[in-house]
Amino acid sequence: MSKLNPKLVSELQCYGAKEFSACYNCGNCTAVCSLASENNEFPRKMIRLSTLGLENEIESSLEPWLCYYCGECSSTCPRQAEPGELMMSLRRYLTARYDWTGLSKRFYTSEIWELGAIFLLAAFILVMFIFFHGPMTTELTAESGVKLNTFAPWKTIEIGDWIMAALLGFFLLSNIFNMYLKVIVRNKNIKIPIKLYLTTLWDLAFNFATQWEFSKSENKTKIAGKQFNISPYWIMHWFLMSGYVLMLIMIMVFLGWFQTDNIYEWWHPQRLLGYYATFGLMAGLIYFFYNRIKKEQESGKHSHFSDWVFIVLLALTTITGILVHFFRIYGLPLPTYYMYVFHLMVLFPMLMIEVPFSKWSHLAYRPFAIYFAKVIKAAEKVNSKD
Amino acid sequence: MEEKNKIGVYICHCGSNISDYVDVEKVREEVAKIKHVSISKTTMFACADATQNEIVQDIQENDLDAIVVASCSPKLHLDTFKNVAERAGLNPYNYVQINIREQCSWAHSDKPVQATEKAIQLVKSGIARVGYSEALIKTKISAENVVVVIGAGVSGMRSAIELADLGSYVYLIEREYFVGGRVSQWGELFTTNETGKETISRLYNKLIEYKNITLFTGAEIISNTGTVGNFDIQVKIRPRYIKPGCKVDPEKLQRVIDACPVEVPDEFNFNLTTRKAIYKNFESEFPEIPAIDPDHCTRCGECEKLCDDIDLGQKDEFVNIKAGAIIINTGYDPYEPKTGEFGYKEIENVITLPQLKRLIELNGEELIYKNKRIQNIGYIYCVGSRQKDGENKYCSRYCCTSTIYTAIVIKNKFKDIHNFHFDKSIRTYGKLELLYREASENGDIFLQFWDEDPPVVSSNGNGTVVSIKDMLSSGKEIEVDCDLVVLVTGMVPRQDNKIADILKAPIGRDKFFNEIHPKLRPVETVIDGVLISGACQGPKNISESVKSSLSAASKANSLVKKGEIELKPTIAFIDKNACVWCDECVKACPFDAIIKVQSNGKNVAEIIEAKCKGGGMCLPVCPENAINLKGYTDNEMEAMITALAD
Ligand SMILES: Cc1cc2nc3c(=O)[nH]c(=O)nc-3n(C[C@H](O)[C@H](O)[C@H](O)COP(=O)(O)OP(=O)(O)OC[C@H]3O[C@@H](n4cnc5c(N)ncnc54)[C@H](O)[C@@H]3O)c2cc1C
Ligand code: SF4
Ligand code: SF4
Ligand code: SF4
Repeated sequence: MSKLNPKLVSELQCYGAKEFSACYNCGNCTAVCSLASENNEFPRKMIRLSTLGLENEIESSLEPWLCYYCGECSSTCPRQAEPGELMMSLRRYLTARYDWTGLSKRFYTSEIWELGAIFLLAAFILVMFIFFHGPMTTELTAESGVKLNTFAPWKTIEIGDWIMAALLGFFLLSNIFNMYLKVIVRNKNIKIPIKLYLTTLWDLAFNFATQWEFSKSENKTKIAGKQFNISPYWIMHWFLMSGYVLMLIMIMVFLGWFQTDNIYEWWHPQRLLGYYATFGLMAGLIYFFYNRIKKEQESGKHSHFSDWVFIVLLALTTITGILVHFFRIYGLPLPTYYMYVFHLMVLFPMLMIEVPFSKWSHLAYRPFAIYFAKVIKAAEKVNSKD
Repeated sequence: MEEKNKIGVYICHCGSNISDYVDVEKVREEVAKIKHVSISKTTMFACADATQNEIVQDIQENDLDAIVVASCSPKLHLDTFKNVAERAGLNPYNYVQINIREQCSWAHSDKPVQATEKAIQLVKSGIARVGYSEALIKTKISAENVVVVIGAGVSGMRSAIELADLGSYVYLIEREYFVGGRVSQWGELFTTNETGKETISRLYNKLIEYKNITLFTGAEIISNTGTVGNFDIQVKIRPRYIKPGCKVDPEKLQRVIDACPVEVPDEFNFNLTTRKAIYKNFESEFPEIPAIDPDHCTRCGECEKLCDDIDLGQKDEFVNIKAGAIIINTGYDPYEPKTGEFGYKEIENVITLPQLKRLIELNGEELIYKNKRIQNIGYIYCVGSRQKDGENKYCSRYCCTSTIYTAIVIKNKFKDIHNFHFDKSIRTYGKLELLYREASENGDIFLQFWDEDPPVVSSNGNGTVVSIKDMLSSGKEIEVDCDLVVLVTGMVPRQDNKIADILKAPIGRDKFFNEIHPKLRPVETVIDGVLISGACQGPKNISESVKSSLSAASKANSLVKKGEIELKPTIAFIDKNACVWCDECVKACPFDAIIKVQSNGKNVAEIIEAKCKGGGMCLPVCPENAINLKGYTDNEMEAMITALAD
């Protein structure tokens, strides 16, 4: 027996799903969704659970993570109930449910909280620099580079990096653990042999690296008249991701090699890798901006406040990073220093908010959801054999 | 009867429908041999204009005294050839149609020889029958251009206005002291958003403009003798105890009401409140003057002391009316759930939809029931309708829409309302679907249940809970907390339906009034001159009720406006010499068309022509074989059988 909760509908509206009350359960969305199966009426089932406000059932569902917003359901729905957008909102809602700190819910449902946190974290960086920055020398190094490492020695920054990484890791992993509790441990119907966790681990790694499921979206790419079975969404997503991850590795692990005062030749790996990462980020950003403004694809038709915050922060981080690089190359010390501070003022809040509490966390939840789903399926098979 | 010796016979090919299997030429040759047949022809299409004209010519030139057409079913062309006969000056009852298409060529296409043989026999039997046929003349009776409309609900009032426009004189007879019927109880109505009171006021203000409408309130028909064209109706008018000239002063009326010591449950509010013996249901109610309910008034005289317009000495009045036609517009009752049905009368916050409608009207800013502010409302649909085992088998039509509409009204009117609909499948047909959509977009939640698994209403210490197996999540068991549970009750026939007996109006298996043919004659009953419309005929919303009431009005007017009515001649007649008055036929006749009269010093039965429908129920029960049916006499039938057996 489950209790109906009429308040969930309005709560989910805060997470972005405005139209799903119009659903009259015809099941067209399920008929077209590639994730639906004989005994899983997805996404209609999730719509029903949301309408009835059955929070525990929703909380233990993995399906919203398996949906990559191909948008077929939304364009097929005769009531314009936007089921795809509800799945997107449920991902936000689940992120908030997994997050034990309660911050995620605040950020998703309150613009004031989200902007407040960004400014607070930016102010923190600014204060740190005001008090602890190195000499702002206008002298250039022998190789005619700006003395950035004198203003902000990479060793010090790296310590900051690690502290931040520890925080991010702690929040994200504890939230993932919470997800594990909700979808597997609380599910009394299922016993999972430990062995299965290991045998399905490959899926986790593969999906983490490629986010391959995105490529299954119905939109196909056409290049020179040829149809490719890969969606442009996935390609652009992959560009963005690889650029982002590369950049993250360079600043977290190889900062000493990446943040130099010397200016290398253009073909030097340090510069080439940096340019690739920047290019990947910019291309992805432009694509996503375009998608959200043009609203041609279903996935771009509805933008939640948090979507814009994320894109804008990422764009600002990328642009300020590019400017730091060029100011340095052209030997402009003061602009380099100021821009560097500004760059970190955007970068820090972006990572602190997005990675454990908001959009970036989806990149971790998705592969874990696929992994857990595989584990559960394998366990069901084992159990049914017994 | 003069013998017929100039019979014309026409055998149709029906293109090739008949002639592919029946050898029509052979049929013609065979029947041509019969003595009295003076013309026999085959024809490509008997119904074609050219053939019809040829038959007319044959009749006139050869002075034929009867014709037989062997073609298709009489259902298709009986009237066609009757008209042909009439045009040629031959009595149409001297015509017989034989069906050799459905009964021969189509039925026996695998055996053409036998099909032809059967056709020959059938045509011969037709010729034998027509030999005994009689020329029959339609009787005419006079008719009053007066129509009695029973019930002044929305349908009755609309019928009355329409009839008055068409030139008939109308007596509108309402049992209650006020007009409007159910509609005045409902507040906002779906599809127009107008309130019931506004709708009724509009009709009433129009109605009183007509000089040729007389309205009786507190009135009931107590007897009818008479038939179509000349109904003889007696009406009993109960006293209102208020002088007709009374000019109502609301403040004074309130003082008088306050003074009345009698307090009874108020049926207008479905017993949610009480009223005094002197009452008016709402201020703008019509007629404007209040009424004193004689069943509860103790004649204590308290009110009379305060007001000169009150006259407790008034007596019942009786009025006789002669009318050409009657329209029954007596409406319906809402289904009253049994005690314990979904917790009704056992759990205190379980009410019916009609009660909810009144509750909305009675409340102001907030929705309060039993001193509790209502926020979560559960509606259980199809209570007393679509019953698998109960009496009310089918859908009441109005209630899905009304509930959904009411839920929308409540949501707009009051704050923080959640609506939960427990339905059997929503039937907001046609344009009404838009309301369903609006309600779901408002966030109303619809939970469908299976017929065999209806929701359960229970009360736990804190409140009332509805539990349901939700069809749309594959039977998940869901509990919903409700402050108010509304039973969406269907429509049932009026509990007090004496009028059906008085007028002999037929009642269907569902106990609503029954029409002759639901598609082709939807407002007529088998009693000539008695029409039905509105919700007394079965569940209807207002538009549907009014549509049928307009159709009944025009039907009634077209019946009586000429001042005379033609009756079918194919009715029973009684051989008074043979009749021994055993009473059997009277018992067999469903229309009370047989009466006892004196003839040659003995009691005999006689047919009232205007009442007889020619159904023939009396024929087989007569031990003396004294009854015959015109157009189907024993002679005719026996001649056919003899010819077939030959
Ligand atoms: C809760 C509820 C809400 C509704 N809401 C809507 C709505 O929003 N929109 C809509 O279109 N429809 C609505 N309906 C349907 C609507 O009430 C009917 O369609 C309408 O009342 C039918 O009108 P009627 O004149 O045929 O019958 P009634 O309204 O029942 O009127 C019959 C009249 O005949 C009188 N009478 C009965 N017997 C006798 C007798 N023997 N002699 C003399 N008089 C007699 C009665 O006193 C009454 O005045 C609703 C129904 C219900 C139950
Ligand atoms: S297609 Fe639209 S209306 Fe139909 S079940 Fe899916 S969301 Fe609901
Ligand atoms: S967006 Fe695509 S994957 Fe997601 S629910 Fe709709 S149809 Fe299924
Ligand atoms: S209209 Fe709706 S509530 Fe009324 S009987 Fe029909 S299905 Fe049931």
